[in-house]
Amino acid sequence: MATTIPPPSARAEDVLDRLERMWQPRPGVLGWLTTTDHKRIGLLYFWATLVFFAAGGAEALTIRTQLIQPNQHVVAPSTFDQLFTMHGITMIFFFIIPMTTGAFGNYLLPLMLGARDMAFPRMNALSFWVFLASGIFIYTSLFLGMAPNAGWFDYVPLANAQFDPGHAIDFYCLGIIFNGIASSFTASNFIVTILKMRAPGMSFNRMPLFCFAFLAASFGLLFALPSLTADTIFLFLDRNVGTHFFDVAKGGSVLLWQHLFWIFGHPEVYILIVPAFGIATEIIPAFTQRRVVAFPLVAVAELLVVFIGFGVWAHHMFATGMPVVTVVFFAAATSIVVIPSTIQVFAWCMTFITGNARFKTPLLFIAGFIFMFVAGGLTGIMFLAVPFDQQVTDTYFVVAHFHYIIFGAAVFPIFGGMYFWFPKVTGKLYFELPGQISFWIIFVGTNLLFFPMHIVGLEGMTRRVYTYPAGLGWGPSNLAETIGAYITTVGIVVLLGNLVVSYIRGLPAGPDPWHGATLEWTIPSPPPEYNFAVIPKVSSAYANWDHADRMEDRRKLAESVMVLEEGHEQPVSSPVDGWWAEIVEMPHDSPWPILLALAMALVFVLLLVHLWAGAVFGLSAVALALLGWHGEEPQEA
Amino acid sequence: MRDGLGYPFAELATRGTKRRRGFAAAALLVPTVLAGCSGRQSTLNPHSHASTDLANLFWVMMAVAFGGLLLVTGLLVLAWIRRGRRGFGSDPDDPHPGERAGWWMVVGMGVVFPIAVVVALFIVSDGLIMNVTSAPAASSTAMTIEAIGHQWYWEFRYPGTKAVTADEMHIPVGTRINLVATTADVIHSFWVPTLNRKIDTIPGNRNRILIYANKAGVYRGTCAEYCGLQHAHMSMLVFAQPKAQFRAWLRKQAAPAAAPTSAQARSGERVFVDGACSSCHAIRGTSATGYVGPDLTHLAGRTTLAGVTIPNTRGYLSRWIVDSQHYKPGNQMPNLQLSGAQLNDLVAYLEGLR
Amino acid sequence: MTDYIAGGVPEPLVPRTTEARNGREVAALAGRRREPTVGWWGMAMLIASEVTLFGTFIGTYYYLRFSNAHWPPPGTPEPRVVVPLILVGILATTSLTMQLAANAAKRGRLWATRAFLLCALVVQVGYLVYEVHDYLDQLRYSTPQDNAYGSIYYTLLGADHVHVAVGIVLVIWLLWKLLRGLTMYRLNAVQGVALYWHAVNLLTLVVIGVLLSATI
Ligand code: HEA
Ligand code: HEA
Ligand code: HEC
Ligand code: CUA
Ligand SMILES: [Cu+2]
Repeated sequence: MATTIPPPSARAEDVLDRLERMWQPRPGVLGWLTTTDHKRIGLLYFWATLVFFAAGGAEALTIRTQLIQPNQHVVAPSTFDQLFTMHGITMIFFFIIPMTTGAFGNYLLPLMLGARDMAFPRMNALSFWVFLASGIFIYTSLFLGMAPNAGWFDYVPLANAQFDPGHAIDFYCLGIIFNGIASSFTASNFIVTILKMRAPGMSFNRMPLFCFAFLAASFGLLFALPSLTADTIFLFLDRNVGTHFFDVAKGGSVLLWQHLFWIFGHPEVYILIVPAFGIATEIIPAFTQRRVVAFPLVAVAELLVVFIGFGVWAHHMFATGMPVVTVVFFAAATSIVVIPSTIQVFAWCMTFITGNARFKTPLLFIAGFIFMFVAGGLTGIMFLAVPFDQQVTDTYFVVAHFHYIIFGAAVFPIFGGMYFWFPKVTGKLYFELPGQISFWIIFVGTNLLFFPMHIVGLEGMTRRVYTYPAGLGWGPSNLAETIGAYITTVGIVVLLGNLVVSYIRGLPAGPDPWHGATLEWTIPSPPPEYNFAVIPKVSSAYANWDHADRMEDRRKLAESVMVLEEGHEQPVSSPVDGWWAEIVEMPHDSPWPILLALAMALVFVLLLVHLWAGAVFGLSAVALALLGWHGEEPQEA
Repeated sequence: MRDGLGYPFAELATRGTKRRRGFAAAALLVPTVLAGCSGRQSTLNPHSHASTDLANLFWVMMAVAFGGLLLVTGLLVLAWIRRGRRGFGSDPDDPHPGERAGWWMVVGMGVVFPIAVVVALFIVSDGLIMNVTSAPAASSTAMTIEAIGHQWYWEFRYPGTKAVTADEMHIPVGTRINLVATTADVIHSFWVPTLNRKIDTIPGNRNRILIYANKAGVYRGTCAEYCGLQHAHMSMLVFAQPKAQFRAWLRKQAAPAAAPTSAQARSGERVFVDGACSSCHAIRGTSATGYVGPDLTHLAGRTTLAGVTIPNTRGYLSRWIVDSQHYKPGNQMPNLQLSGAQLNDLVAYLEGLR
Repeated sequence: MTDYIAGGVPEPLVPRTTEARNGREVAALAGRRREPTVGWWGMAMLIASEVTLFGTFIGTYYYLRFSNAHWPPPGTPEPRVVVPLILVGILATTSLTMQLAANAAKRGRLWATRAFLLCALVVQVGYLVYEVHDYLDQLRYSTPQDNAYGSIYYTLLGADHVHVAVGIVLVIWLLWKLLRGLTMYRLNAVQGVALYWHAVNLLTLVVIGVLLSATI
């Protein structure tokens, strides 16, 4: 948009130079290994999770190939069990969570909050390296042919040493705990960042919905993960130390595992979806040029869905023969959890209608997301009819439900987001037509892939079967699903290919190709290390649409006020009303995060091979790394 | 009402009803037995009042859900039609047109409407249907059957009698049966979709479920909870018989095994009792009392073997004994080294166990 | 030049952590703070997740208790009551000393800070030493391998001791850091560790309470 930019004063020029020098990253590979820059960490997350996505996808395709027709022998039963377990673990713990929080959250949150980095940049780096280490840790099991094989929720007693000797489940326990550490770090980091690092003046009600979503997701992670950690600790002890948490004969309980797992597991699924909501609520305003309808309601709904999500876990256990009162209670709770979602769905739809929708690729993905989410959510509602749930639970009907929601409602927005922020991250425009084509391939593919699962599920096909007899009428649907899977893959490859080509050939994007709503569009693309030359003024949740403020920022630059170029400086504000509290010195690049992650990895490996004494030694390595870490004293603490 | 939906499932539901005719006959044909005979193992092919209610509940929910999906899709299409109404970048002049209307829509469709739908669903399903499909009070029922899950086959016991059988359960038609599901090892799940919802077998619990069949016939069921390598081959058949027939069958099952008549069978018995078999299998009336594998006392009375994996014919039976790992890789029964003669005797004996 | 107001405060009035070089400046700067620091929030997050973890442990304890007829099971000795209660009472006092240390640091009083930390450390170490000894002693009468009760009992107690141990390491680390004077960073550290200790003391009280609930 044409605006009168004040002439670049010499003063402004050398202010920028000083910022440049101040935030100069280390060159080369070392720079990436030791980086604490949230943008670089975000990109590291992005590439890593993409590889895991490819792995999980490959596993899924193998599953589908095995099930393409009755009585196939593509893989052995034992392999199949490892495949679907690893597929589930990978897609949930190593793709969606790190992709949404890790990649999108890391890269975008500070940009939207008008901050120069996360609250704890080094801890941010640490979470990435720990995440990567845990991923490598758990995937070595696959190459050793002893991958976890008791399903992603790993029910006991099947997962006990008695029925699953060997290291498979130990890999599961330790890998999950290790990965959980990374997620907890990310979660705390995000919460503090969102509460404290907002640009002064950005009170809570001026915060973009994206940030509300990630705040919700982070709280979810922070309070859900301990339950899983405890659960896996118990299982590890039962298997390796001889305790009896899950041993009925010795006063333990089998359902204890299920409760603890799902107390984590259900909030988890909302943790998967809420960031996707956040991405949607950014893309929609940009492509409808209209503020989201019923903003406060949507913001509350985003927080509420996670909160209520903590009270419905037992709806995964309806067939375990719990007392009727319990069952009915959780059915009722499940029916309430629906409301925040419906609120958002209709808020989005109304924004579409009352706005000026431009169906560019990102918006297409969001439209597809709404469709898939409603379809999947409606089957979700059917489950609160307990007797019906007891018919279809553990069948492909459930598999259909959660793939519609997970792939349709969590992955679609990720794809949309890739396109949406591609210009910001790379400074290039992507190619529109291939983009739209990739959407339609994926849309058709996923529906062909996941819709027939409803039918076979109702026809009685249970999940986690490595093959099925002919003559039950399951053949055609399964064939369709497999074809759909391959189409989906093609679509994804087209999508990624398009982005790669655009990166090489794309036209320069400029700072704001979409006339986006939030702060990241006010700065050059790709953003400079210090993000904001001037700490931006914020007087609404759609900062980039407030021209007066943006003009004021330009003037400030010219007069070099609000630049904070005396060091790695960053303003800190009060949690609720964004009152400017203090100016802190952020840490520089540091080798300690990756070293600490390595030390932790050492501990877990030693635990895996039962070198208890060695593990203690490993702990001292951790302690040393921590000492070195705190040897450097930024003012951040 | 179903066909009125004009929805792919409708065709599926009627398919079931077509196959319903003459499944008593179908039961005799082994291949169809494997295929699940009386209609598929399908929730939409109900053969009891319980599963009928469940199927109808589904069709109603399906209709409503389809409505909800249409509604939202409609809104999206409307947006597509109205695309480009307002000029690009016109936001600063009017940042939120139609906000009031939007609020009404969001609160109305996003709060009131779903609450209404969900409350109705909750009352109907978790109130009414829950009751009619749940396990009968021990007093109100004629009989109890125990289903015990093993890796990977089902053991069935008839309390009050000595009868023990595997993978093929017989029940009297039109009787409310109180089925008690337990497990010998890990969690399994007892599920006969055409008769009623499923119930897990939890170590340490005695979960119960109602089993009831409107008509005589053979109904296919399966283990629904992942229970290890051969979870895929842990199915079962439920034979619903007229009461008299059923009583006869039960009497037979309760009796010990018939003594072998032919010389060959007798030597087969010796092979069984002296050989490895007896360490895992029980044959009542002999000294074989193993409990690792299914009770074989009346093996010949069954139509299928090893969790409805293979038909119970001479050929399959003998191949199973020497190469069970081929049909069920990883199952608990080892391949057994037997001379051709031993095998023949053995099979001759087993086939005599009517 | 025009004096811009950001978030209610003009830039020059905002405390800059880099300003502080010695105890006095730290005190001056800390005095101008109106908000808990980022570090404080970070520690709060850590505590939140730790507390949730213990919450799950305790939930497990009661879940198992109510799925068992006898608790503790016959043959398993009941937990000891008197000594643990007294010890926890003593440990709780360190919340006071730690807080005093934090306040002293905030006023830039280096020696006072060291002194209070040292007092706290002595008590904490004393507590841990006895508890560990007691723990090993109990293992002679009942073990985690006996039954579910033993499993959760020793896990819960052990987890608590680990947290005490970590706290002790932190205090030692603080003292070592404070050998070389006070900085903003170290002030934040003292305040953070104090917060951590409040949490640990509270947890210990609750945990002991839960474990003793088996005797009634
Ligand atoms: C992103 C992840 C995600 C999300 C968001 C959801 C959302 C929901 N899920 Fe789902 N679920 C999973 C992932 C997810 N689920 C997974 C992974 C499993 C299987 C785990 C396993 O077993 O491996 C599962 C399993 C699962 C079960 C257990 C099934 C079983 O195993 O027997 C249940 C039971 O209640 C359930 C319910 C719900 C409900 C009620 C919602 C609701 O939040 C949905 C709300 C959304 C809507 C309602 C859409 C909006 C609709 C409209 C606007 C139309 C108008 C609305 C009405 C008319 C009501 N889910
Ligand atoms: C985020 C969650 C997620 C996602 C995205 C998917 C995606 C897919 N899922 Fe999965 N699925 C689960 C979560 C997910 N799934 C879970 C939790 C379970 C339960 C596991 C259990 O029972 O324990 C499950 C189970 C499950 C089953 C049931 C297995 C069984 O019960 O026996 C099946 C069967 O068809 C299946 C299929 C698929 C397919 C075909 C896809 C496809 O959509 C995949 C398409 C994606 C690709 C093909 C990858 C392409 C990527 C690239 C090409 C990137 C290239 C880039 C580089 C090389 C850098 N999934
Ligand atoms: C180590 C234990 C073991 C031994 C020894 C053993 N079996 Fe089995 N057998 C099993 C198990 C377990 C099954 C159930 C397999 C399944 O369905 O998963 C089984 C199944 C069978 C079945 C199918 C039963 C049915 O109703 O489906 C037959 C027939 C059988 N065994 C015969 C024999 C004979 C004959 C021998 C000896 C020559 C023998 N078994 C030795 C464990 C054993
Ligand atoms: Cu038994 Cu699955
Ligand atoms: Cu759930």
